[in-house]
Amino acid sequence: MTDSLKTLVAGLLVALMLFMSGSLLAETDPAEDSKAVAERVQDLKKKVIRLNRDLFILEEDLLFPASTQFAVFLSVDAGKFLQLDAVKLKVNGDIVASHLYTERQATALERGGMQRLYIGNLKTGTHEVTAFVEGIGPNNRAYKQAATLAFEKGTDTAALEIRIEDRSSDYQPMVSIVEWE
Amino acid sequence: MKRPLVFSSKPNKAGSGTRLGAVAAGCLALLLSVPAVFAEESPERARDLAYGWALYNYHQGEALEALTLLNVARERGGIRGHGDYPELVEGGLMLSYGMTREARELFIRLLEDEHGRSRVTLAPEVRSQAWFYLGKVFYLEGDYQLAYENLQRVDSSVLEEADSELYAEWGYLRAQLAMMSEGFRGDPDEQTGGQHSGPWAHYLNYNLAMAEIADDDFTAAEQSLRELIEAMQRKAPKDELISEHQALLDKSRLSLARLYLRDARFDEALVLLGAMPLDGVFADRALFDYAVAAAGQGEMQRALDALDALSQRELFLPWREQVPYARGYVLEQMNQPREALQAFTQAAEHYENRGEELTAARQALTEESLMARLNFLRDSDEIITDSYGRLRVTPADFGLSEVLATEPFQQALGELNELYRMQALLAQREQQLGTFETMLETRRVQRARRSQEAGIELEQQQPDEWIEAQNAFRANIEAALAEEDAEFFMTTEQKALKARLGKVAATLAQLPDDQRTARQRKKYQRMKAYFDWSVANDYGVNRWAAQKQLRELSSEMEQLQTQRSDIEQLMAGDSEHEELASRLANNAAEVQSLTVQVDEALAQARNILISRLDNALEQQSNELRRYRVASRHAQARLADQLFREGKSTEAAND
Repeated sequence: MTDSLKTLVAGLLVALMLFMSGSLLAETDPAEDSKAVAERVQDLKKKVIRLNRDLFILEEDLLFPASTQFAVFLSVDAGKFLQLDAVKLKVNGDIVASHLYTERQATALERGGMQRLYIGNLKTGTHEVTAFVEGIGPNNRAYKQAATLAFEKGTDTAALEIRIEDRSSDYQPMVSIVEWE
Repeated sequence: MKRPLVFSSKPNKAGSGTRLGAVAAGCLALLLSVPAVFAEESPERARDLAYGWALYNYHQGEALEALTLLNVARERGGIRGHGDYPELVEGGLMLSYGMTREARELFIRLLEDEHGRSRVTLAPEVRSQAWFYLGKVFYLEGDYQLAYENLQRVDSSVLEEADSELYAEWGYLRAQLAMMSEGFRGDPDEQTGGQHSGPWAHYLNYNLAMAEIADDDFTAAEQSLRELIEAMQRKAPKDELISEHQALLDKSRLSLARLYLRDARFDEALVLLGAMPLDGVFADRALFDYAVAAAGQGEMQRALDALDALSQRELFLPWREQVPYARGYVLEQMNQPREALQAFTQAAEHYENRGEELTAARQALTEESLMARLNFLRDSDEIITDSYGRLRVTPADFGLSEVLATEPFQQALGELNELYRMQALLAQREQQLGTFETMLETRRVQRARRSQEAGIELEQQQPDEWIEAQNAFRANIEAALAEEDAEFFMTTEQKALKARLGKVAATLAQLPDDQRTARQRKKYQRMKAYFDWSVANDYGVNRWAAQKQLRELSSEMEQLQTQRSDIEQLMAGDSEHEELASRLANNAAEVQSLTVQVDEALAQARNILISRLDNALEQQSNELRRYRVASRHAQARLADQLFREGKSTEAAND
């Protein structure tokens, strides 16, 4: 085979190769129907959020009417002195909630999130709430602390916050229960 | 704006999935940093329980839950004490939940009013970064107009000072958009007014060279690629960017080598390709091009060695389908017709088999068979996604790697997954509504029982008799009042005294009329007169006391009547129950309607995904057919040649 023929065949190969690479890499523009589906999915997401909201409110109205509703939230302020492990909640002597924290949940709390630990119903009158907090405290020591609060439940929704704070005076965590107005 | 096809092959395209993840991470990080940057305006501790709870979900990446909670809070009067920050967080959540258009509207409303001022007090660098990320999201989604609008809102000097890398990327994106615009005149720097440096500049220069190739300006493209390679060789980047830098460098060398091959400058191509690492991302392609260059140079053995090395690679890649044919070609060039014939025969069989496989795969193409070709990264039962809902997926069948790497396919796959998640959520909600119905029914039954018990108790108290007695009492008092009947209003004491006086009068009437009786009768008259006087005297007080008692009785009776009517009303109907039942019915209808809509969207998304894959398989099939035909032709030609040579030899021997 002559040199020119060789070049021609090699050229053909290159052309084939270039053609193939080009065609495989070629990306079709997002078709109109794809765009329509994307917009439809976004619209559906909006509707699902709305439905979730309505069901959330309906559930509370049904199960926890405002006059008897009682909720307990948990927050961690900074969390430098405590690696939160578990929390147990007692209302009038009965354990009503307990939670073991994953790393992600603990981080979410440290970043300012508040967990709704418990929601239930309480009659009007005086009640006692106790929270038991467990975790790893300063110097990698097991840490356990409880906080109690006696409070008066009126005819409105009652909300309490179990607050875990860093106490800089003795570098220890501090647990308290605060009533929200 | 028209998007030239050539840009779709730009080297950063393959990593778009990863880049979207990075955008999401950047976006979330930016929004998370907002409260810290503006500690005064935005307290770190939640001042509203609803906001704190939403943040708890937000920080865990649970966008749907967090968005639901923010919506619930809005429905209940909004979040207090945090100004517009909850909305800013909502915008970030919308981005991570894939609601980009909603997020854009929210950001525009929050970050810029009609006078160009921001509703929330954000530092200029945070605002610029927010616009940048929003623009990049639209760029990656292929919405270049919106991408351009948002990137234009970035304050360049502020961004440059705040984050030089982001600034470089911003410049790159603007240059890319400029290149895609119809008025592009060949120099993005000139059109965007920016100067580019660093990794983004390399990408931009590479894409410029590709644009030159698309315009058939091969000389300019060659020059651009040569300069790019020199620039990249001159300056190595930081450690974490080395592999990316090397990949782009290899890609540039490969593109330049192909330009040399196009001009039959095989020696230059060989030098360039020979310098490429054998363990690089583009090593296989370089090896193939090396074989082509060597064949062009007449060094057939080197070409064959390269092709043999490629044939032994186990990983299937569609572009490598040309290797079996190329082997035959090189053997033929090496003047080994028998080996070449065998190679072409094997190649034709290979293409035949592969073609049949592809046809079968296309015929049996279902969502299940598509999913079976993909490996999803899972966390327990859930498929792991990035913050934008894009699935972490790799192809089990590497024939899909090219199509899988495309943004539309990734988006379609993500949307399909989102729709399935919605379907599951709706099924869960339907179940929840069933539970609510049971609860509502139980509540209604309990209420009916309590109402019934109350009704029985009320009846036992005989309220009608009491009402009758009260009415009679009232009538008597009113009659006595009209007649000014003082005796009627006498106290119990007075009544007892009157009775005693009556007895005395009766006794006196029976006594003989003597002096003693006369004295006693006189005394009685005095007592009687005093009694009558005291009754008349006490009339006002006694009347008032009786009227007071009547008023008290009336009030009590009124209360009884009200209670009775309330109980009767409650027994007759329960408006609260009706209101809850109506909400429940509305929600059930909404769930039904959404289920239908999700099913329809699912069918549509599934069709799109499958048709995309089918197109890719069809393309592969067409390529294979071409190679099969070429192999068969070569096979026939060589067989004929060998046959004729055999005949000639036989004739010569004879």
